[in-house]
Amino acid sequence: MPHPTQSFVRNCLLSVIDAAGYAAIGPHLEPVDLPKGTVLIEAGMPFTHAHFFNSGIGSIVVSTPDSQRVEAGIFGREGLSGFGSLLGVDQCPQTTMVQVEGEGYRVSIEALRSACQQSDSLRETLLRYVHVFISQTSYTSLSNVSQSVEGRLARWLLMCHDRVTGDDIALTHEFLSIMLAVQRPSVTTALHMIEGYGFIKARRSNITIVDRDALVDFADGMYGTPEAEYRRLIGPFA
Amino acid sequence: MSRFYLHQQIANGIIEDPDGTEAVDLTAAKHEAILAARQLLANAILSGVAPLGIAFQIADETGQVLLEVPFRDALPPHFINTD
Repeated sequence: MPHPTQSFVRNCLLSVIDAAGYAAIGPHLEPVDLPKGTVLIEAGMPFTHAHFFNSGIGSIVVSTPDSQRVEAGIFGREGLSGFGSLLGVDQCPQTTMVQVEGEGYRVSIEALRSACQQSDSLRETLLRYVHVFISQTSYTSLSNVSQSVEGRLARWLLMCHDRVTGDDIALTHEFLSIMLAVQRPSVTTALHMIEGYGFIKARRSNITIVDRDALVDFADGMYGTPEAEYRRLIGPFA
Repeated sequence: MSRFYLHQQIANGIIEDPDGTEAVDLTAAKHEAILAARQLLANAILSGVAPLGIAFQIADETGQVLLEVPFRDALPPHFINTD
């Protein structure tokens, strides 16, 4: 079966690994569409595949017993789903789903593990990504307890902006309410305020970033550290 | 289930609810509005700013307003001066 060459892939992890690392994993990559809403990892179910995104946004969420959902983290072309499999576990309590449609490659967990055994470059790069993801969730916790809803929204919009092409982000208020762990009217109000400052334009199911630098200032230090860790340890992203 | 829209009345206009929310009936939608008003008031108080909203207007899919829920209904009764 033909598989994508390394210069063709847009996933940042697959782009930065050395040629031997890519030779170990490349033949196992199957191109897949990632439609919005697709569940990639079901909480409490055995991992079957990891997904390397070329585009789109994946979201890792946890739920209360009465189905209130909160987002633990997001990833796009800088990451992959199912990275718990790299840590030697077979399942996890979080659900991973596609929140902004895209495309990428899937690889079976057995093939991923075997490729990681063959290549130090691949294994080390993916484990560094796990570290960066933990940094992101740490900053999410900090942001959730220290920032206003508007500040948290600014941070999340920047994180999504990093992972899409262009300045438009297809996000519903429903998704934003999960991202920020607030009720929908709090999202609507925060969007209204940030739009009033001139940082964004909000339309139904679409947000346009108008002034990114102002959003970074407004996020008040809560945005940027995990992203800097990625650039320091792995390479360019977004 | 029906779709209800929680439009928020503010001092100089309305913040429209673009998507609406599913609820079994108007009573359930009112409950949602009270919970949302509590969160909006709490967020404003925590940030040390005046809340933007004054009331929710609960509308149906045709845009007709079915019920108005003032934010003060979300406050504990003894916080409200009833004189």
